[in-house]
Amino acid sequence: MATRRARGLNPVSLTFVDKAWRLNWPLVVLLSAVAAVGVVMLYSAGGGSLQPWSSRHAMRFMLCVGLMLALAFVDLRVWLRLAYPAYALGFVLLVAVDVAGMVGMGAQRWLDIGPIQIQPSEIMKIALVLALARYFHGITAEETGRILYVVPPTLMVLLPVGLVAQQPDLGTAVLMLAAGGAMFFVAGVRLWKFAAVFAAIGAAMPVLWGMMREYQRNRVLTFIDPERDPLGAGYHILQSKIAMGSGGMFGKGFLEGSQSHLNFLPEKQTDFIFTMLAEEFGMVGCLALLGLYSLIIVIAIAIALRSQSLFGRMVAMGVAAIFFLYVFINVAMVTGLIPVVGIPLPLVSYGGTAMLSVMIGMGMLMGVDIHRDMRLGRHGEALTS
Amino acid sequence: MTDAVFTSHGAPDAAPLPANPVAGRVRIEGEVKQALETGRNRLIVTGALFALAFTAISARLFDVTLIGRGAEPRVATAPRLGALETFRADITDRNGVLLATSLETASLYANARQVPDAADAAGKLAGVLGGDQADLAAKLGSGKSFVWIRRNLTPRQQYEVNRLGIPGLDFQRDERRVYPLGNIAAHIVGFTDIDNKGLAGIERRFDEQLRGAQHPVKLALDVRVQHVLRAELESAMRDFSAVGAAGMVLDARTGEILSMVSLPDFDPHRPGAVDPDARFNRPTLGVYEMGSTFKLFTLALGLDSGVATLNSTWDATYPIHISRFTIKDYRGGERRWLSTSEVLQYSSNIGAARMGVAAGPARQRDFMKRMGMLDTPRIELPETGQPMFPTNWREINTMTISFGHGLAVSPLQLANGVAALVNGGVLRPATLLKRDPSDIPPGTQVIKPETSKVMRGLMRMVVEKGTGKKANIPGYRVGGKTGTAEKVSAHGGYARKALLSSFVGAFPIDDPRYVVLAMLDEPHGTRQTGGFATGGAVAAPTIGKIVARIGPLLAVDPVDLPPRPAQPLLNARAQGKSVAAN
Repeated sequence: MATRRARGLNPVSLTFVDKAWRLNWPLVVLLSAVAAVGVVMLYSAGGGSLQPWSSRHAMRFMLCVGLMLALAFVDLRVWLRLAYPAYALGFVLLVAVDVAGMVGMGAQRWLDIGPIQIQPSEIMKIALVLALARYFHGITAEETGRILYVVPPTLMVLLPVGLVAQQPDLGTAVLMLAAGGAMFFVAGVRLWKFAAVFAAIGAAMPVLWGMMREYQRNRVLTFIDPERDPLGAGYHILQSKIAMGSGGMFGKGFLEGSQSHLNFLPEKQTDFIFTMLAEEFGMVGCLALLGLYSLIIVIAIAIALRSQSLFGRMVAMGVAAIFFLYVFINVAMVTGLIPVVGIPLPLVSYGGTAMLSVMIGMGMLMGVDIHRDMRLGRHGEALTS
Repeated sequence: MTDAVFTSHGAPDAAPLPANPVAGRVRIEGEVKQALETGRNRLIVTGALFALAFTAISARLFDVTLIGRGAEPRVATAPRLGALETFRADITDRNGVLLATSLETASLYANARQVPDAADAAGKLAGVLGGDQADLAAKLGSGKSFVWIRRNLTPRQQYEVNRLGIPGLDFQRDERRVYPLGNIAAHIVGFTDIDNKGLAGIERRFDEQLRGAQHPVKLALDVRVQHVLRAELESAMRDFSAVGAAGMVLDARTGEILSMVSLPDFDPHRPGAVDPDARFNRPTLGVYEMGSTFKLFTLALGLDSGVATLNSTWDATYPIHISRFTIKDYRGGERRWLSTSEVLQYSSNIGAARMGVAAGPARQRDFMKRMGMLDTPRIELPETGQPMFPTNWREINTMTISFGHGLAVSPLQLANGVAALVNGGVLRPATLLKRDPSDIPPGTQVIKPETSKVMRGLMRMVVEKGTGKKANIPGYRVGGKTGTAEKVSAHGGYARKALLSSFVGAFPIDDPRYVVLAMLDEPHGTRQTGGFATGGAVAAPTIGKIVARIGPLLAVDPVDLPPRPAQPLLNARAQGKSVAAN
């Protein structure tokens, strides 16, 4: 306490300037570095041209950085108050998109609202983190240990996951489920409950298999044996591996990725951009990018550790988990460790919505950092020392 | 932190009695601390798990980029196609060379009721497919719901027809029999009709098996040998202006037919385009009075039955007059008593007739029956000819049969009989199918092995000193017998000028592996042969050329070769010197 007084900062009533001083600039730099990799790779993907992807990616990132910095100044109490309403909104939108999907026949992930399209599952990722953080913040550690208190947050996770899986967007569903699990873990839910859940998932596998769409089953089967269908469902992953293997240690050089440029590699500007990186910059390039990601995650976990409020910690952890899962699922997918699910590489893959949701999360993370000394009561009231 | 103001909300355990607010605060304080502590530990564990996961994907990256080269297969495998069970099986030679196979094609048919403008459609189709426009228009305007337009289109034609976009036309999957080597074994392989039903040859004989089977029918034929035989017979036919030719190469030890040629031949893709005579398979369907080559059997009969020895002599001084026939030797003959071997060497009709009579009609008939000359040969071809022989086998018949007249057999029977004469006396049914070396039929012993040995010596003598000298070639010791038969003329009796000249032999004669037969139908003498068109003049040299070419192919060791001249070029190479330096 003495130290805090010495810094002369009152965590409850930080001034704008106080907050500005506390901005986590290393995080901003790292995020910019990752985005720069994205700009470079999209330049290559566009055939050595800023059009159509590279320049727009850079522009979007700058806008998102502005948004992130603005969100960083938002008081934690505001986030806490917004948590449940945001979750409710996300849920309604998810149901809406599901209904629209039924009407439109087929996969529906987007909702057209006037001129803009929104993807409710992206909103839901953020909202879920906030809602879970708020819930676990609102109960005691002892309650966290009780099974009855674990039921509501479990439903909070499973309902949107079910809806997203229904869309069907298996990747996002898995991502949300795993991020939720990570937050449960950090909140202190007993380990045996995780074991029970894993067992239940194992038991539910056959049922899930029955519910899967034909193309999803194909993806799983193709994952097990990519050569089963080298020109069909296995095409992505085989081409991806060929491209990566051709990169070797240092890659073929910038703009020299023949597999990517000759369009053997599908979706090279979005989900498979990491493959292109591997082809042009080799394993060294890949590990460098993974290093950047790791630093970001380390910073996020450090922020979570430093946070004096459970809510802040949970939010930071949720954002870190989602960010980690994006990277992990994408890289594991393009290297053939897991089946192909449509998960982009954060800040590198081309795509506005995914970048927006990642940067909103990062804004919240920075907000947690700025308000790290703020201690919140169970209902979100600031506790002054 | 002791001054933190906590209320007891949300903590039921803490609720009961906050009598001592300080104690309550402490408890809550401890609880929060514990929660944060648990959270801290779990955060670190989570971070460690993240790190582990990143290590895993890094390892995977290492594997994919540097070691594994992905899962790209070393050898590309074609996608597995479903078994083409409706396809007719292939026919191959003994080494697996394709002789007949099936290709998937498309056949064009029309539902004439749906063709809007028959005349216009016929015009367009004729432009693509060729053919008679009026005929096409008639088909397209017939009003039938199904009418074949053209069978077995090429892919290009199919594409072009599709491009025309005429309603009412459609394709049916079809298959077409293809013979990659064309004429080369047309008589043996045979051909099919447009519905792929076997009409001739192996295609007909094994029609059922070919329809169902996935495995090819493997013939005993060797296309390399077949090519040599065909080429040599063709050139002999040309040289001697013959109307036809036939030939065979038979494995003397197994009965497998390595080659069988009948000329003229035909393109099995268009069997209808030739004269029916060209489709006639002389070696199996044709039955001929073989002439002097049959003297081999007369000698074998004489020697085996003991009525003749190599020391016996036969009176060939004068022609034999019997009934209304006169048996003479060619150009008068030697006009003296001949030894047994001389009968063969000079091909004496009189001597052979006397030897036959010495054995007697009954014994000769039995012997011919044993040699398979009186039965239709059991060969895997539907086209087999029935031998002709006298129902009443009298002495005159015995005399003529002794020198190869009055008994007509197919060249296949002759070759197979000769195989038994030279291989130690075992007759095996000849076959067109490849035989498993471990499963050769034992056959029947028709003459004594000693007789067979003597026969080999006599056949070699014919080539060394007798009528078959032109079959003698360096490297391969050929033995055999010439034959010149006069063909039965259309007017009855024999036609002097229409000959059937043949040579049947075996090589290497000391331990024969192959029996070779060449036969020319109505050859004409040339200046080179001094105007002669006899077996010795036209067939024997052909055999020589054939053996010289197939011997090396069949890996028969050459013997008796003249010493090679020194070859400095090769020696220089062997010593490692450059040719230029030499």
